[in-house]
Amino acid sequence: MMTIRDRGAAALRRFSRSTTTTLLCVVLVGYLALGVASSGSFFEGPSVRTFLRYLATPVLIGLAQMVALCVGQLNLAVGALGGFTACLMGVLMADQGVPAGVAVVAGVLVATAVGLVTGLFIVVTKINGFIVTLGTMTILQGAQYGLTGTRTVDGYSAALRDFGRAAPLNVPLVFLTALAAAALLAAFLYRATAGRRLLAAGGNPLAARLSGISTDRQIVLAHTVSGLLIGVAALTATASLPGVNRSVGGDWLLPSFAAPIIGGVALTGGSVAVLGTVLAAFVMRLIDAARAQFSLDPSWVNFLIGVVVLGTVVGGRIHQSHVAKRGGSRGSAPPAPPRGDARPAAVSPHPGGSG
Amino acid sequence: MTDVLLECQAIVKVFPGVRALDGVGLRLTAGSVHALLGENGAGKSTLIKVLTGVHTPDSGRLLWRGGEVRPRSPLEATRIGIGVVHQERNLIPGFSVAENITLQSPPSRRGLIDRAAMTDPALRCLGELGLDLDPDRPVRELSVAQQQLVEIAKALYTESRVLLLDEPTASLSPREAERLFEVVRRLKARGTCVVFVSHKLEEVFAICDTVTVLRDGASVLESSPLAEHTPDDVVGLMVGRAHAATQLRPREVDTSAAPVLSLDAVSTAAGHRDISLDVRAGEIVGLYGLVGAGRSELVKAVLGLDRVTGGEIRVHGEPVRIASPRQALHRFGIGYLTENRKEEGVFLDQPIARNITVTVWKRLAKALGFVSAREERDVAHDLVERLGIRIAGLERHAGELSGGNQQKVSLAKWLAADTRLLIVDEPTVGVDVRTKHAFHELIWELARDGLPILLISSDLAEMITLADRVVVMADHRIRGEVDNDRDYERMSGRIIRVIHDRATSAVRPRAVEA
Amino acid sequence: MTAPVAPPGGDTRSDRPTPARPAHRLPFRADQRLGLLVLVVGLGALFGVVRPTFLDARLVLFPLFRDVSTLTVVALAQMVVLSVGHMNLAVGRMAAFGALFAGLGYDRLGLPLPLGLLLCLCAGAAIGALTGWIITRTGVSSFVVTLAMDFALLGLVSLLYSALTENAAFTTKPSGLAELRSYSLADICVGPVCGSPVIPQLAQFTVLALLGLGFLYGATRIGRELLLTGANPAAAELSGIPTGRRVVLAHTLSGLLAALAGFMAAVGTGTFRASIGDDFMLPSFLGSVLGGTLLTGGVVSVVGALLGTALVGVIRKGLELLGVGLESLNIYLGCVLLLALSADRVRTVVSHRKVVRST
Repeated sequence: MMTIRDRGAAALRRFSRSTTTTLLCVVLVGYLALGVASSGSFFEGPSVRTFLRYLATPVLIGLAQMVALCVGQLNLAVGALGGFTACLMGVLMADQGVPAGVAVVAGVLVATAVGLVTGLFIVVTKINGFIVTLGTMTILQGAQYGLTGTRTVDGYSAALRDFGRAAPLNVPLVFLTALAAAALLAAFLYRATAGRRLLAAGGNPLAARLSGISTDRQIVLAHTVSGLLIGVAALTATASLPGVNRSVGGDWLLPSFAAPIIGGVALTGGSVAVLGTVLAAFVMRLIDAARAQFSLDPSWVNFLIGVVVLGTVVGGRIHQSHVAKRGGSRGSAPPAPPRGDARPAAVSPHPGGSG
Repeated sequence: MTDVLLECQAIVKVFPGVRALDGVGLRLTAGSVHALLGENGAGKSTLIKVLTGVHTPDSGRLLWRGGEVRPRSPLEATRIGIGVVHQERNLIPGFSVAENITLQSPPSRRGLIDRAAMTDPALRCLGELGLDLDPDRPVRELSVAQQQLVEIAKALYTESRVLLLDEPTASLSPREAERLFEVVRRLKARGTCVVFVSHKLEEVFAICDTVTVLRDGASVLESSPLAEHTPDDVVGLMVGRAHAATQLRPREVDTSAAPVLSLDAVSTAAGHRDISLDVRAGEIVGLYGLVGAGRSELVKAVLGLDRVTGGEIRVHGEPVRIASPRQALHRFGIGYLTENRKEEGVFLDQPIARNITVTVWKRLAKALGFVSAREERDVAHDLVERLGIRIAGLERHAGELSGGNQQKVSLAKWLAADTRLLIVDEPTVGVDVRTKHAFHELIWELARDGLPILLISSDLAEMITLADRVVVMADHRIRGEVDNDRDYERMSGRIIRVIHDRATSAVRPRAVEA
Repeated sequence: MTAPVAPPGGDTRSDRPTPARPAHRLPFRADQRLGLLVLVVGLGALFGVVRPTFLDARLVLFPLFRDVSTLTVVALAQMVVLSVGHMNLAVGRMAAFGALFAGLGYDRLGLPLPLGLLLCLCAGAAIGALTGWIITRTGVSSFVVTLAMDFALLGLVSLLYSALTENAAFTTKPSGLAELRSYSLADICVGPVCGSPVIPQLAQFTVLALLGLGFLYGATRIGRELLLTGANPAAAELSGIPTGRRVVLAHTLSGLLAALAGFMAAVGTGTFRASIGDDFMLPSFLGSVLGGTLLTGGVVSVVGALLGTALVGVIRKGLELLGVGLESLNIYLGCVLLLALSADRVRTVVSHRKVVRST
């Protein structure tokens, strides 16, 4: 039998080999390098505040996408729902004079409800989630435009602005909000029975069903949680932006996918990496900060993120096949049929396979 | 020894057009290992599905310790105490060993998983099986054999008194299989009834106490002590005399002709060693072996889907290297009728015409790759008539056809291509008896017309009906070759002996290790 | 519930196929296309009656047809990858990438109009081929690869524009471009007979693309092989189809068509800018999916892509004229998409009840 210490060491070993560790190193080295390159000004209060304030929303939308991905769903409506919710909050406060607290709660509830309806629609009609969220994305974009038109809503509550600006010890409250959401999500996914059911259904729907877990319910739950996180993202965006207009959320979609993918989440479902996603958002923010530091064209950011995403997945795939080759005593699966190979065990034996 | 856990009485399950189970009886006693045997299609998997609540029987009774039960879902079956380890792995790859073991009812407090409380029962289950696995390790890092043992531990956690193992050794090495047997013996010792479903008779005779044999949906031998039977008896019951008696018209084979396909000491990345094999024009060569012997994998390597690491493949005497099924078809005229009809054989959501003509578009294509729809229809129509495929129209989707007709469509594409060598893999699995007979006649006629055929089958009766020679394969090696004299009794005995000879040497007790 | 395919007994050895059962439904796709056509014409007529300006050739119909021409090519670019069961999230950016090369050719090399277009198409095809190659070589899902490609091109195209131009746009216009933009069939006369003033000359490219793809999918070996690759890659490989090459081909064609759409969009707006193709992703899926192309691969509808795009165009324009603000347009479009697909789903479920298929 293994001792507790052995197991602890094994867990540590696993951690040290993970994507998360690599990302952590990248973040630390990148942050230090940027600090040195800016001869220290990057470590000063205002820089740190700005850096972290605009990190909150990317973290949250990355997590929102990650929750959908973990049951094998894609959520194309991340940006549209976020933008719509942000505008809804703004309009409620500025035009209707609703107090900040009420507006925020209403916005988050609406976002959650939209997620719930999306999930239900997918489950009931059995239409591909990609197309359904494409549809809801279109509708929400229209609704967002309907709320604000071409104007920028900025006359909203000072309380929310203060919340956006507040930064005790140079750590902005919005960033702490994002971290708290991430921590709660991690607790939910790793500790709560409901969260484990979600992951089980994403990891192996058949096995989950045999254990009495309804896949449909997990899809609905995933979209609902995704909606909730988008609602929180809308909150942080509204609080930290000077005003909300129809372009809010327009450029969220790609980063929302990039963060979980770089963080090591598979599109096929069943895997989550809360810390990885947060760190990946951090890396992307670093690229942006570096761009600003060296006054480069903003387009470099997108280009580099594209290269990083591609590098991550291709590198991961090469690593995987390397492991499979090393571990397999009887070689690998036939290379040819890339999909539809539903029963690998029946096609070729996979004794040491990587699963 | 008379503690009966589960009893089936006259179970009947009818699917549209098929009586999958027709009066099956079964009696499972505590502390025993029970073999459930039967050919492919005899009703084993349907019976397992009935026992585990996936299907509800149309009539008949299930008694659990004397009281009637009606499991309506796998979950209910587990609650009763019936667990199953399927051929497909049913674990969550990203979860830890402990979590997978406790998946069904994880220890929790107020909606939160209690990981500390999870480790102990997991360790207890693993310990009872004599396994030393780290309960925190993610299951995806384990080998297939280890994953299977975790599934058994999972059944222990849910306190299954009856545990069904469906082809548990299909993808295990002999050494891993021996460890599994050790676990089975432990389960038996603690009073569990293990139902062992396997094609490997030597394993059955090594560890089982009682046996039930299914044939055509009925139990022809019901919970009988295994000691009273010999392997030959059991095979005779599995296959049945009536099936074996099929005799086709005599056919001359020129054994002196040069082989069309020869494998010479071929080894592959899939683990085959020293495979030598000849197929001559007009000859049906049978490649017999139990599930998992590596027959389909060998063919896939020959077709270029896996690496050939040594030896030589010759087509018409010329040494060749086949890079892909496309090359096999277009350059060497080799067709492969796959065993996985739905996954690799037919395009279910495509028109029947397209399913049949896929191999000949290259021939039909004119300038700019134009393929005339009329010519395409003509080709398809000819084959539909020739094979007697029952269809409502060539534009209808292949998914609308019955299993047997789908299989014919799958074969038709190779006949359309005028292949010069046909490899037929388990051609009659899951097709009804009449279509099966039609298939046998068809294969026979193709050979009579001079087509060399390599027939892969685990159906002994089919082998003996069709093959001129039977090459016996086990564990990725050729174990021997038997000339077919078409006398069922003699042949089955000889073939089983070829497999048996090595089995006794391979299944030897070894120490259990992690 | 899993039920095995049930052979309905019968005489399986009869020599003749049984005569067709009475057709209880039209072939599914033909059905859908007809419905779309009726919908497009009907809605067009309705809008025409309610708002006579809808039928104004110069102000409404001509721009509408020009938009539909461009977006149809976009939908076709998506349809081609959908046919092999893949996706192209980078259609818009591939369009921008192609247009960049056209603009570069006109501005720096002084190329005539057709040669610039050729350069544009080559660039698009090349980037598409690269994408397809990465997908087949690594086995990473097309979604992720094209997503990353989208990012990379989004950055790259903007970088190149700002490096190569002063105002982030190529303004040099080769001769013929202005005519291509504003001329319609009315400007082509054979003797006294002139064409319709509502059909823009730009539509010639769309017609070519439609005919080309119609021929490809309807009548050629390659087209059928693309479809079977999408329907069941494993079976396709075993049936002798080079699935890897077909996937690369599909992405190459997608890149080429996207570049063509980019060129058409640039001609339509008159400048070669980085923002070309920004809003292509939604129409690409709307047009192809509404037209009956399946996301799972194996089924395409070339005419459907045109009709789907036309439907979206007519609704958009009609609602605009009815005074439904731009803001609400998207709401209606999203609803149309979801409703159309739900209706399809209902129909599929109904027709599948007759066919027992194991899952």
